[in-house]
Amino acid sequence: MIIRVRFTKLGYLKYLSHLDLVRLFTRSFSRSNVPVKYSEGFNPHPRFSIGNPLSLGIESQSEYMDVEMSEEIAPNEFMIMMNRVLPKDIQIIHADIIDDKESLSSIIKWSHYEIYLWIEDTKKRQEIKENLDRFTSLDQVMIKKKKKKGKRKIHVDVDIVPLIGNVTFKGEDQDGYVIITALLRSGESGNLKPIELVTALEDKTNSGINLEMTRIKRLDAFAETEGNIYRPL
Amino acid sequence: MINRYKLDSILMKVEKPARYIGMEQNVIIKDLEKTKVKFAFSFPDVYEVGMSHLGMHILYNLINNVEEYACERVFAPWVDMEDEIRNADLPLFTLENKEEVRNFDFLGFTLQYEMSYTNIINILDLSKIPVFSADRDEHHPLVIAGGPCAYNPEPLWEFIDLFVIGEGEEVTLELMDLYSKHKDGSYSREQFLIDAAMNIQGVYVPRFYDVSYNEDSTIENRKPLIDGIPEVIEKRMIRNLDTMFSPEKMLVPYMETIHDRISMELFRGCTHGCRFCQAGMIYRPIREKSVDRLLELAEKLVESTGYENISLSSLSSCDYSQLHLLISSLMDRFEDKKVGISLPSLRLDSVSIDILKEIEKVRKTGLTFAPEAGSQRLRDVINKGVDEEDLVNAVSYAFKEGWSKIKLYFMIGLPTETDDDVVGIKRLAYLVKDLFFNRPKEEKIGNFSVTASASCFVPKPFTPFQWHGQDTIEEFNRKIRLVRGEIKDNKVSFNYHDPRVSYLEAIVARGDRKVSQLLYRAWKNGCKFDGWSEHFKYDTYLNTLKEVGLDGTFYANRARNFEENLPWDFINPGPNKQYLINEYTKALKGETTRDCRLGCTGCGIKDCAMWGVFN
Ligand code: SF4
Repeated sequence: MIIRVRFTKLGYLKYLSHLDLVRLFTRSFSRSNVPVKYSEGFNPHPRFSIGNPLSLGIESQSEYMDVEMSEEIAPNEFMIMMNRVLPKDIQIIHADIIDDKESLSSIIKWSHYEIYLWIEDTKKRQEIKENLDRFTSLDQVMIKKKKKKGKRKIHVDVDIVPLIGNVTFKGEDQDGYVIITALLRSGESGNLKPIELVTALEDKTNSGINLEMTRIKRLDAFAETEGNIYRPL
Repeated sequence: MINRYKLDSILMKVEKPARYIGMEQNVIIKDLEKTKVKFAFSFPDVYEVGMSHLGMHILYNLINNVEEYACERVFAPWVDMEDEIRNADLPLFTLENKEEVRNFDFLGFTLQYEMSYTNIINILDLSKIPVFSADRDEHHPLVIAGGPCAYNPEPLWEFIDLFVIGEGEEVTLELMDLYSKHKDGSYSREQFLIDAAMNIQGVYVPRFYDVSYNEDSTIENRKPLIDGIPEVIEKRMIRNLDTMFSPEKMLVPYMETIHDRISMELFRGCTHGCRFCQAGMIYRPIREKSVDRLLELAEKLVESTGYENISLSSLSSCDYSQLHLLISSLMDRFEDKKVGISLPSLRLDSVSIDILKEIEKVRKTGLTFAPEAGSQRLRDVINKGVDEEDLVNAVSYAFKEGWSKIKLYFMIGLPTETDDDVVGIKRLAYLVKDLFFNRPKEEKIGNFSVTASASCFVPKPFTPFQWHGQDTIEEFNRKIRLVRGEIKDNKVSFNYHDPRVSYLEAIVARGDRKVSQLLYRAWKNGCKFDGWSEHFKYDTYLNTLKEVGLDGTFYANRARNFEENLPWDFINPGPNKQYLINEYTKALKGETTRDCRLGCTGCGIKDCAMWGVFN
């Protein structure tokens, strides 16, 4: 039996690396006493996988994970038992049994982000909406992406327009951050990091964005099969 | 609280930001507005190192257990983080409330090794607290320090307002209580320090003492400047370990640290009387926790942490008088929970291996033994009560049980050491190799290797070898080459510590007040993380010694005579000076002293807790 869960990664815990997160779940499975299936061998470890991991420093409202169980358990009970031992910023918010054989990382194709832009200059801040429109109407946006080739790291030129689903202006928050949302390709078959989008936006439009102050939150992730876009859970 | 957005933009840029966020399981975050006394606890090294230190977990929980006190942590930011917070002009902050360290009532350092001292100065500076005690006033935290290295506090005398000598559980709370009382009146820093120095045992306020020197730079005299403060500082020691505070929780880091496990102290002190070992002298006498208490604690710790391994940590854990009972009870209790047990230090006997066999049922990883010296003669000199037969038995037994990787620890530069003793390191390593390959074919299990590891001996205060002149760096290097040249077998490897680090460590370990200027100027010249080989700046230290007009050989390589007034002589650690003199004299004659469990050897402790228990 496989349980698929949606969980959060908020606040300072956005600074946990993927490895730290794996360690946290490994410990939490055993502390919570949920019947997780363990691998065989000298050093048994619980069988679970987290769908396309977040980069360090990005918050998320919806991360996905598949957990293999050794016994039947009601998803709700699983969630309650786990949340009791998980920190408040990493909590399971939904759980269900899935029959899918396909792994999360193979089906997740899109991520939806909320991006907070810091624009010091008030005049430029007012122009951001137009700049965004200008940016999204470009036919081609070339950026340099780092790629690993064997052991070496090389830079390749990539057109990111096909990797962008949409970019929308949302408004300003009380601290003066400009909020936008973006649906970007995510996963093995094409990936655009939100910070790459913001860097390209600044490059092409000169919007006065302070890249270092950018804050990002993943709102959700989506699967895509045969043209259908849907939530993994 | 520091600016959250500023912190965020910094954390995005540094390596391993999880070092600076806190929020771990079992963290205690209090409302600082509502606490009466705020204590910032600092282990002056990077997070992963500090979090592996048991003492930190004890004090953290001890203080936070008192409702109106708060303890928060601060570690040394790694160099990348230091650059970022300096650039952003962000004062150093604690992990819990992200509150500026300078807003705390106390900043307490634990002194575990001398090579962390420049980090202390750096932490003060990063916190925007004046680094010199004399420059601080009522607006600054009281900067205090304790831990094993506080037994020679003098090299830090200019930076630390108040030292506590000995075990910290009781005295820390006494200090906070006293402070709390002073805070109720019109608080004066000076008055508090005087009150503490006068009335709390184990407290040393260096500013209240004056030291004069002889022409040859040795100490002439030391005298209190204030009436009523003690001339001799008596160490603090907890008599009953069962009733003292022991934590039932430990912080569980998100990131990987050096010890990802529960640490449980079985006892304090050690009775072997190895003559090089400071811990073996200053933590005397031995005091055990009972099996019942340990089981109770183990249960709570496993429950609260979810860790799957308990490390039984003490100076020589196999000495615990009820070890078999303890281990079998622990194994029974946690059998279905998959909780493992590990012993960090092993004695060279089959009893130890038997226990090991029991607890390491599946994984046969490497085994470590510490003969410390290469010849029997020299092992007698240092009073390391093991002989070659013990090693042969233990190693043969280990091979039979399926271990195949052996590590041997040695020291070079011990008193009376000859080249023969040094070459003995190679001899023992080869002996271990032969023991493996001379076994019947079917018993040669696994991929054999033996590693001999040598550290360069640093004489420490309050040991019988405190008068010994350390080998020069050249001499260390010659001895290292000697061993290295003798080992020509790819199954036998040899590694060694950098003698230059040991030289600096020796200067500071037996330093006097003048050494504080060396530390200060070295820090000014860019020294920090001196215990990390990639950051250790030997040349900078050499230049700084010249700059401050100090002779390194005076501190490191000079043999002292028994009449000399040593910089730490005003502290009473338990064993008295005459005992140390006797032990040194016996050492030079190659005479051993028995384990004092077998009968008191008269180290000078008054009203020793062991009398009647073991003797
Ligand atoms: S007084 Fe005697 S029994 Fe007590 S620690 Fe010293 S030598 Fe051992």
